[in-house]
Amino acid sequence: MNEGLVVLVRSIISFFTLLIFAKVLGKEQISQLTFFDYVLGITIGSIAASLTTDLSSRAWPHWIGLLCWAGLGYLMEWISMKWRYAAKYIEGEPTVIIMNGKILENTLKKMKYRVSDVLVLLRNKEIFDVSEVDFAIIEPNGQLSVLKKPENEPLTAKDMNIKKQKKGISTEIIYDGILFEENLRQLKKDKAWLMKELKKKGISQISEVFLATLNEEGTLYIDKYEDHIQKPLDMGDYKGPY
Amino acid sequence: MRSFLVKAIPIVALAIFILVMLSDNYLKKPITENDDIPGSIEQVLDSVEEEDWENADKNCEILSSAWEKVANRVQFSAEKSEMDSIYQSIARLRGAIQAKDKTNAYIELHETYEHWRNIGG
Repeated sequence: MNEGLVVLVRSIISFFTLLIFAKVLGKEQISQLTFFDYVLGITIGSIAASLTTDLSSRAWPHWIGLLCWAGLGYLMEWISMKWRYAAKYIEGEPTVIIMNGKILENTLKKMKYRVSDVLVLLRNKEIFDVSEVDFAIIEPNGQLSVLKKPENEPLTAKDMNIKKQKKGISTEIIYDGILFEENLRQLKKDKAWLMKELKKKGISQISEVFLATLNEEGTLYIDKYEDHIQKPLDMGDYKGPY
Repeated sequence: MRSFLVKAIPIVALAIFILVMLSDNYLKKPITENDDIPGSIEQVLDSVEEEDWENADKNCEILSSAWEKVANRVQFSAEKSEMDSIYQSIARLRGAIQAKDKTNAYIELHETYEHWRNIGG
């Protein structure tokens, strides 16, 4: 028995099976996972690991385990999509822990949160004074959403009755010295216009440009390969291996 | 076409994986003339029964080489412990034949067969 070869074949099986199952499950980003999603992910990963290296048992039962966990995860997702009543139990629901500036102690106790935990979460939101908070809600993924009291909200253009221009999203038009003509066309510009703009910055060839983006407003950002920076600013405060 | 490929590739991949993982059930059975494990066990059993130890030794070597061939085929799907047990049983069988020990030869032959039967089971 060539153990290395067997592990290689089993690795390929578990890697691509995991990839396919993860695609089917279509999970949100890690930061948005609920506690159960997190545990589900760990268990599926652990089964995939034993499928790869546990040669003392056949690959098949491990694979069935993987299939069952992924299948049940998918089923739970499907149920919570179709049935809001069940979703409340499976996914959990947002819970208000500060209402009208008052901390709801009983709710905190039910959620098994200490006041110090809430203060940490508030500080993470750059709120150092609880009196600034009007509403605070613990989301099913454990994160805190905060609504500040109106007097503590930052001033907006709307408050000042100022009209601001829309900036829009910037689109890549040159990346790694390659021009994306389709993106340029979408922004109703052509290559001649781009070359003219590049010439203004002293660039004669597209291949000199590392990145160029253009927003709807028509603002062009250009980064050349040659940055003319002799020594980049060192942000480290302690000597390391590099 | 693109959406067909997006669905077809994972389905085909999963089907291949399942085939590989379940292949031991089929690949343990004889494909050529020299890889018949139950047949080889039967031959050794006959030789031991007749106490023809020279022939039993020859048939034991045939069983051993048959198992080498089958082991190469089933290694991706069978459990290592079951495969190791067959190697050990054959080694013990070789010893029993050399010692002309009929009882132990019988035990090892039946154990080898049981382990072979368990592969893919």
